[in-house]
Amino acid sequence: MKCLVPVAQRPRRRQLKLGCGLGIGILLVFWCSSSGYSASSDTVFQAGLESYRAGDYGPAADAFRQSAELQPASGTLQNLGNSEWQRGAVGPAILAWEQSLWLNPFNENARNNLRFARKSAQIEAPDLAWYEVVSTWLPVNWWAGIASLSLWVAVAMITLPGILRWRKTTWHQAVAALGLMVFLLTLPAHWGVHTRMRTGIVVQKGTSLRLTPTEEAQVVTRLAAGEPVRRESVRGKYVLIRAGSQALYGWIEQSQLGWLCPRTGKLGN
Amino acid sequence: MNLKIWRLILLWSLGLGTWIFSPAASAQTQPASPPAQDPLMNLMLSQPRVELGLVTVMSSFDPPVVRPGEETIYRVTVTALEQSVELPSEIDVLPSLELRPGAHGQILQLAEGKQIPLTTFNYRARPSSSGEFIVASFGVKVYGKPMTVPGVSLQVVDKPADAALARQMLLLDFPSTNLFVGQSVRARVRLPGSPAGSVQILQQVQLTGQDFIVDQSSVRQSVPTLPFGGSNVVTFVYETTLTPIASGKIAVSAQAYTAGSYLTPQLVITGTAPIPGGLPQYRLLESDPVQLTVRPLPKEGELPGFTGGIGNFTLDPPKLNTNALRVGDPVRLTVAVRKNGEGANLSRLAPPPSPASQEWEVLTAVPDTAPPQVIEAQGFAAFHYTLVPLSEQVRATPAIPFSFFDPTTGKYSDLTIPPVPVSVKAGALGADLRTLLQTNAALSDAEEELSLRGLASNPGRSTSSLVPWQEQPWFPLVQLCPATAFLGLWGWDRRRRYLEQHPHILRNRRARRALRREWRSAREAARARDGVSFATAAVNAMRVASAPHYPAEPRALVGADVIQLLGNGSGLANHDTELVRRFFTVADVSRFAAGPADASALLNLQAELDQLLKRLEARLS
Repeated sequence: MKCLVPVAQRPRRRQLKLGCGLGIGILLVFWCSSSGYSASSDTVFQAGLESYRAGDYGPAADAFRQSAELQPASGTLQNLGNSEWQRGAVGPAILAWEQSLWLNPFNENARNNLRFARKSAQIEAPDLAWYEVVSTWLPVNWWAGIASLSLWVAVAMITLPGILRWRKTTWHQAVAALGLMVFLLTLPAHWGVHTRMRTGIVVQKGTSLRLTPTEEAQVVTRLAAGEPVRRESVRGKYVLIRAGSQALYGWIEQSQLGWLCPRTGKLGN
Repeated sequence: MNLKIWRLILLWSLGLGTWIFSPAASAQTQPASPPAQDPLMNLMLSQPRVELGLVTVMSSFDPPVVRPGEETIYRVTVTALEQSVELPSEIDVLPSLELRPGAHGQILQLAEGKQIPLTTFNYRARPSSSGEFIVASFGVKVYGKPMTVPGVSLQVVDKPADAALARQMLLLDFPSTNLFVGQSVRARVRLPGSPAGSVQILQQVQLTGQDFIVDQSSVRQSVPTLPFGGSNVVTFVYETTLTPIASGKIAVSAQAYTAGSYLTPQLVITGTAPIPGGLPQYRLLESDPVQLTVRPLPKEGELPGFTGGIGNFTLDPPKLNTNALRVGDPVRLTVAVRKNGEGANLSRLAPPPSPASQEWEVLTAVPDTAPPQVIEAQGFAAFHYTLVPLSEQVRATPAIPFSFFDPTTGKYSDLTIPPVPVSVKAGALGADLRTLLQTNAALSDAEEELSLRGLASNPGRSTSSLVPWQEQPWFPLVQLCPATAFLGLWGWDRRRRYLEQHPHILRNRRARRALRREWRSAREAARARDGVSFATAAVNAMRVASAPHYPAEPRALVGADVIQLLGNGSGLANHDTELVRRFFTVADVSRFAAGPADASALLNLQAELDQLLKRLEARLS
């Protein structure tokens, strides 16, 4: 059989095999690392469940937080919110439920808990613009997937028949138009996701909203734990925020806030 | 002479005409309207620039002579922005001189058309014994550069001269220091004038401390004559409203810069108040801290409709737009709440929540939209309710529970908004109102059922990061993959179409490849001294190189075709014709004759053949 293979083709086939092997190796490494993360995250999650059921809300919250730091998940964040609420931390609870809905807006339990907490603590929900409301209809990553898929399907339906010399049919044009329409419709949602990333939740009780970014600055008002704010700019350890429907502006310390979408993508950052 | 005069007149006329009709002259005669500019930009440009280059550092004691145990201010002044000054955490002094950090602030002073930042750091110094205390010079960093604070001495004597003890300080007082959380109180900052009668104006007055908020909209400044030190003195008074927001002991201090004769528009001067002229001497003054005792509002005795109103309030009779209504017609109820006396947080008063009623739909009240200072000045706040009668049986608007906390009695007082008589006739509910009512009913039902729901049994939908894909740096790179694929396909298609329109390119390319193959075979045959194979390969090479030019199948070409092709465009030498013929002859003989052909002589013609084939190859490019 070896004689049938031309000599010139042998190195090419060898390169192909090497490339395939390398690709499979990289995929295996990724899979092993992600499954390792997943396994340890699940273990911590189960420990959190046991602690919560035993009434140890502090250790339960720690476990759920650790699990969410390893692998952010909607259910984990929902449980983290429950644990924080049970131990009286209103701000972290509301933040965790908001993050749970950020990942999965179909999580009805987290949505219900959030409404319950806001009603109990007399706290307003974030004031959302219409495009931000649209962005809450689906999980944040879905918008990226839908936009990419619809755009490239539309491009394919426009270009491929000409390139591959298919006969142009109505359904090609219909699919292209549909793809473009879906892509354009996702744009406001993308902008909504982008602007919602600046949403933060006050995690400390009685957080002082200051006139200037200094410790001695005059206090404009006090913000309750769980109050939603919007980031305007950052200066050192202080962040300029806009709070509530009254559009209160002022500076608070970054450590007194939790962001819906931390810059590093991990909790507590 | 006459000619000269006429020449001058002509030149003058020409000059005048040119000037009159020139655009510059016409522009001068018709003044153009100035271009419209952004007023904010104008304001910014009109401000003097801030001088940041010249930095000086000064220090002083105020007063420089005190008695043992008396307090004095050690003041460090830097002509730089406050944030750029890095002071050491501690200043080395003798143990018998207690030094505590006091107020610090920044002001911009005008000098020579520039604004010079002036930053002041106060330290409260208290010597415990008499003698001379020296604060040695020490280093600070200003704009990151090292500077030196000059040393200064403090004289502590048992019996100093009276003039040496004159120290300006602020006086802070409150009408009451026992307060409730949320109870507003007037804070009064005073700066008594000199015994001679002159008074300094204050700028950048601030109340410093924790757990209170200051209402900047309620500031009042005046220069009355008030008793101080046993006599009446012209005094600068700054008043504002302070509201504690946490219970416990709260320490409040005041600080401000003296600004000489800098008069503010809100200043009220009563009587005679000599204000010194000349350039202001900016000095950061501060008051002794005042401790407020703040108690939480009592839980017991709280009445319905309490929305945080603290003070003493009364209610004007509520007013309706009209008393004659139809079912479904909205009507506006206006309620005015008045304050009695000082200390009522009228501008922060929230309207009581709308009551639930079967016969009325009461929409959420709209609070007073007037600015806080206007509300305080007019002495009342107005709330507006919109009510919709749902039945013709109603005879009065619903009572709206309302209450406030009276700090003088320490009890809650009822201030329920009383019903207003109305007459309602039959009418139809609009579709929009019915929808609103159904929505409200559904919402209220849903909210009543709210409770904390249980745990998720599994982590659920997970991701590697809370940052969405579209915000990740890899996302645009991933989009490059399909974009590259489509671009590649498009390029390939363009190339294919081009080759379809120019098929000779492809033919020439194939012919070049075949020519090189046959050429290689001819060289190998020459090396092997195989004349027949050499001749056959050479003929094949000539055929494949000539075929695209006809175009024709290479095997169908004969030597004459090659000769004709070589002859086109340039003169063909005889030996080339001979060469082609010889190769074709030998190839034909070897192919068709019965006996072997004598091709050994052709092996010597390899160089000529190479030249020939090079020419043919060149014609294929």
